[in-house]
Amino acid sequence: MVRFGTLWWLALRNLGRELRRSTLTALAMAFGLALLIVSRTLSDGAHEDWIDTGVRLGAGHVTFNAPGYRDSESLDDRLTSVQVDASLAAAADAPVPTPPVTTVRVSTRGLASSPDGAVPAWIVGVEPDSEIEFSRLGEHVVDGRYLQPGDRLHAFIGEGMAVRLGLRTGSRMVLTAQSAAGDIEGQLVRVVGTYRTGLEALDQGLIHLPLATAREWLGVEGATSVSLLLSHSSLTDGVQGQAERELADSGVEVAGWPQSSPDLYAAVKIDDGGDWAFHLILFAIVTLAILNAIFMSVLHRKREIGLLRALGLSSAETGLVVYVEGVMLTAVSGVAGVALGLAVVWLFLRDGIDLTDLMPSEITFGGIVFNPVMQPVIELKHLVQSVFFTVAIGLSASLYPAWEAARLDPAESVKVE
Amino acid sequence: MPEYAVRTEDLWKIYPQEPRPVEAVRGVDLEVRAGEFVAMAGPSGSGKTTVLNLLGGLTRPTRGKVWIRDRELSALPDKVLAAVRLTHIGFVFQSYNLLPVLSALENAEFTLLLQGMPVRERRERVRRLFREIGLEGLEDRKPPKLSGGQQQRVAVARAVLGDPALVLADEPTANLDSSTADALLDVMEHLNREKGTTFVFSTHDPRVMERAGRLIRLVDGRIEGEASGAGW
Repeated sequence: MVRFGTLWWLALRNLGRELRRSTLTALAMAFGLALLIVSRTLSDGAHEDWIDTGVRLGAGHVTFNAPGYRDSESLDDRLTSVQVDASLAAAADAPVPTPPVTTVRVSTRGLASSPDGAVPAWIVGVEPDSEIEFSRLGEHVVDGRYLQPGDRLHAFIGEGMAVRLGLRTGSRMVLTAQSAAGDIEGQLVRVVGTYRTGLEALDQGLIHLPLATAREWLGVEGATSVSLLLSHSSLTDGVQGQAERELADSGVEVAGWPQSSPDLYAAVKIDDGGDWAFHLILFAIVTLAILNAIFMSVLHRKREIGLLRALGLSSAETGLVVYVEGVMLTAVSGVAGVALGLAVVWLFLRDGIDLTDLMPSEITFGGIVFNPVMQPVIELKHLVQSVFFTVAIGLSASLYPAWEAARLDPAESVKVE
Repeated sequence: MPEYAVRTEDLWKIYPQEPRPVEAVRGVDLEVRAGEFVAMAGPSGSGKTTVLNLLGGLTRPTRGKVWIRDRELSALPDKVLAAVRLTHIGFVFQSYNLLPVLSALENAEFTLLLQGMPVRERRERVRRLFREIGLEGLEDRKPPKLSGGQQQRVAVARAVLGDPALVLADEPTANLDSSTADALLDVMEHLNREKGTTFVFSTHDPRVMERAGRLIRLVDGRIEGEASGAGW
């Protein structure tokens, strides 16, 4: 124990001697870790923003469908009223701190037409009061208003569709789709408002109309989906698992957003891969900084290291002195890096980083629109991961110089000038 | 049977080298009794430093054996050999070899610290010895702030403080001017006389040879001659 303490003491003194070099190395590590934390929180924030936007306009974090619906998107594969109630009950039991927002939808592919022409449409019957909280499509209104409870023969359409069909608020249009009975049915509706999300596919093809109207028009009692919006995407697996257990015998299929929005999931994964590549480069830089600093200090201190051996330290203990220097450097840099990283994140936590000026037009990827305001999100798991990797790198980068120190020939080393 | 501080038997050190191996030490048989003050002299390349390294367990012999007191070194594992160096051997090098991050006092007490001696006891020992060898008042100075002679005295203090069986000094006066070298030799003679510390030097310095109780002459890795007693 005495020896171990002495080795630490000696390592500390050695670090103190090359204070400038030690400080520069520690700064390199600390900046690396801080950059890692900032980059990680920003990408976590961006991903969460993408997911949030994607699932709101899509199928939610967790969605309940009849088996086969996700592939067929046909009214034939719909939930019965009993299954809708069972799904809503399962949603209410979701093990989450904040109650999820739930919405019931009847969706079908159809045709939207006006005297100016016809376009294919994805027609969704929604409950206006829950949907406005769920999809927030009402926040993208460019003219008129979003649907309201009490609306009946009304539709909320995209700006692109309005332009193509020559429609504006108050215009009438006809929706045509195959009903549950298999007949082609038409429905006259009046445009209550138009929206623009920036996603061409939505703006030209998505129509919201009241759920009751859709049910009546299409002859549907239940729904095609019940969707849940959670406070954070990380809760998805837990809620999905619980709902699957609860609905095991009810013939309801439960899907998380990665299954129901595979494009979005792929986009997040691809971006995640890019982040990892960036992080690997950062790790490599940090590794080289430590390796260089400690290895150079070993080369400069060959005589002292030989002397330690002559004075009675074993080769392992001599290596340990060098290794402990790396450990101390890593520990100090780790604390400084976390503090610096969190301080920077804290600065941007409230207002985010606004890149509007750098993004001249809306950029879409994986079915979502990039938010030009990057909002960092601190995910404890990723913070711990960043620290863990940096510490692991610090500790492993110190191994080689320590090994070199341990294998120096003491008789030769004490002669080095 | 006399008590030996160190003895060797048919000691060889051969360095594998192209085009042919270098035989640095060739069959050295040596016995140094406890309390002796021995100088090894010889031309450059005669193997003096290699013999000292072999005696101190810094290098393993290619062949032959080394005993420190009654412990044979050549087959000891690294950790045990390190422990033997710590408790039985003191080193003094030509270029002082103090740890620059430690003060004079910390350098001197370093082996005692490794031996686990309580701080008060080791500090007391160091201060007492510093008084004896003229280092009083320099305890807190770092090596760069000490003269060559002072640094070498700190190195001697570090070597003898743990009461080793043997102090190996590799040309300890080579970097010192003559008066400083004399002062250092006075210190070592004093320690040899008063504490019975065994010294083995390698040297070119006639002053060291004159003061040695026994002179061993090495040529081409072999002991070519030996003289002892007054007037050798």
